[in-house]
Amino acid sequence: MIVLGSTSEVAQAFIEKALQEGEKFERIYLFTSNKETTERFARHIDVKFLQQSKVIELDLTKEIDYNKFDSINSNLLFCATGYLGEGTEEGLYDNKNTERIIDINYSKLVPVMNYFAQKFESRRSGTIIGLSSVAGDRGRQSNFIYGSAKAAFTAYLSGLRNYLFDKKVHVLTIKPGFMATKMTEGLPLNPKLTATPKQAAACIYKAYKKQKNTAYVLPVWGIIMMIIRNIPEFIFKKLKL
Amino acid sequence: MKPNFIQKVTNWGNFPIVEKEMRSEDSFRKIKDFVLDHNEVIARGNGRCYGDASLGEHIFSTKKLNKFISFDRLNGVIECESGVLLSEVLEISVPQGYFLYVTPGTKFVSVGGAIASDVHGKNHHAEGCFSEYVIEFTLMNERGEIIKCSREENSDKFWATIGGMGLTGIILTIKFKLKNIESAYIRQESIKAENLDEIFRLFEESESWTYTVAWIDCLQKGKDIGRSILMRGEHAFQHELPQNLTKNPLRLKKKLEPTVPFYFPNFVLNSLTVKIFNWLYYKKQSKKEVKSFIDYETFFYPLDAVNEWNKIYGKSGFIQYQMVIPKETGREGMKKILETIANSGNGSFLAVLKLFGKNNPQAYNSFPFEGYTLALDFKVNSKLKKLVAQLDEIVQEFGGRIYLTKDSMSKSSLTNYLKNIQNPKFVSLQHKRIINNN
Repeated sequence: MIVLGSTSEVAQAFIEKALQEGEKFERIYLFTSNKETTERFARHIDVKFLQQSKVIELDLTKEIDYNKFDSINSNLLFCATGYLGEGTEEGLYDNKNTERIIDINYSKLVPVMNYFAQKFESRRSGTIIGLSSVAGDRGRQSNFIYGSAKAAFTAYLSGLRNYLFDKKVHVLTIKPGFMATKMTEGLPLNPKLTATPKQAAACIYKAYKKQKNTAYVLPVWGIIMMIIRNIPEFIFKKLKL
Repeated sequence: MKPNFIQKVTNWGNFPIVEKEMRSEDSFRKIKDFVLDHNEVIARGNGRCYGDASLGEHIFSTKKLNKFISFDRLNGVIECESGVLLSEVLEISVPQGYFLYVTPGTKFVSVGGAIASDVHGKNHHAEGCFSEYVIEFTLMNERGEIIKCSREENSDKFWATIGGMGLTGIILTIKFKLKNIESAYIRQESIKAENLDEIFRLFEESESWTYTVAWIDCLQKGKDIGRSILMRGEHAFQHELPQNLTKNPLRLKKKLEPTVPFYFPNFVLNSLTVKIFNWLYYKKQSKKEVKSFIDYETFFYPLDAVNEWNKIYGKSGFIQYQMVIPKETGREGMKKILETIANSGNGSFLAVLKLFGKNNPQAYNSFPFEGYTLALDFKVNSKLKKLVAQLDEIVQEFGGRIYLTKDSMSKSSLTNYLKNIQNPKFVSLQHKRIINNN
């Protein structure tokens, strides 16, 4: 298993869920920009499940040396990389913020995904799971830079799924909605619309096993986003969302 | 939306509820920043204490410090971060033949919380408190330094932190010993007692048993006062187990875990329903004495079988009242306490009686000392303050004290027994209440 964004609580909960369900991985490759906390997680799954893993540094804001990834091969890629950045009010005209959001959520991430997708394609097997966001379903004034990067990522995953279909590789797009994670800590979220990483992991695992194409973590988000997508533009533009 | 981290926080009793800053981090560097940037910081584990012990102006939740570090499967030594729950320890240790030396009545407390409260179990008389099996821990102090504490290294901090209610710093990681077991089952005997005299006699007779505890019907009056059921148990050896349990002795079947769906309306729990419950509970066991093998979860954690059971007390919440009274005067004290409760009509749904053994004098901040301890729960209502004041008087008269982990309104003279913990950086609402004497 290859994991991009290994400090993500959803990624960690997914790994634990899969191991609890008895999945076996020869090795888990934990890509991260935060070596210290990821190494702690690697020890944790070793103690808990006797699962071997390897921590590999990956900083999407820097030049990437693909030669380091040569020997890595797997049947499952889980991408939880994401960066929320500053919202519109604070960060719209801050170019650094904009670039970072686009780099980490899309432009620098996609080449890495492609690198592994190619390996999957040549093996003619495997599953790629990508965590996108409901923010990508329609641009809203509060965080549309992040939303637009996620929209691009959603479109990328959809195209990749289409391209890899007859190469026997499955692509699953997850749109989590609110989650109680580091990314959203301290925000006043409605608990009924917010999933814990554990809940999210259980839902993603189910979608993975059922070979779903796209899935919302909490079903209610499917309904909310359907409504939001269908509000006519001349009304939508006046809303404070 | 800018994060402000202000949220409603409450512990297991749903009383009191406060709106305070609460943050959680898994990076030690960020925890240090949090400690240095704020005064009046208090650590909080899984919020399973009852009152205001883990509430404060700036709460650091250890929820994200939830990783295991090592497990020496040969010697039964485990090391983990402080937010790991006892349930998570059991999940990996029981199938390997290891159990916690000391466990409280719920497995959903964090190991950090277990040290801060120096929790006790049904085996205090035989095996002491949780701290007896702690090898070392790391603590972040007021300067953000991480210090290693053990009996040899920084031993003053080690002992001050044990039972110290989080007032010495933030516990980050813990290494502790586990005990060998051959099966996940307990050989149990439950014996009915007609009254207080009989239950006290049974306790003293059962001293050689590792685990003893009694459920007590605290609404009985007169000659029936102290009507109860004593449960005593031992970890079952493989060869003792009945045939049907020998196949997989260290693994339990998955059970259904129902959840209380909403806060029960206030009228559900009243003295009549509690009376009926207690009557049924006592009559359920028809024989005087029953011997059986039961799984460890049913024996140690009967309430954990129902998720969010705290909601049955309704939105106003409930308190736990646990005191210890020295052994010599214990019987008389308990009698007086039970009489007071029965007369108040404010029944306790669950009342648990135990005989504590000798305490470890080094663990000077630990709650238990040799004597009788009774734990009660009471729904929060208008009559409660008066009842608590009455009970406090009796505890005072008999030279007892209150368990801080469950305290939310007791007299400060019964709850100010902590020593060597003056530290303006780490302060809980409970501590402020106690030192301000209200």
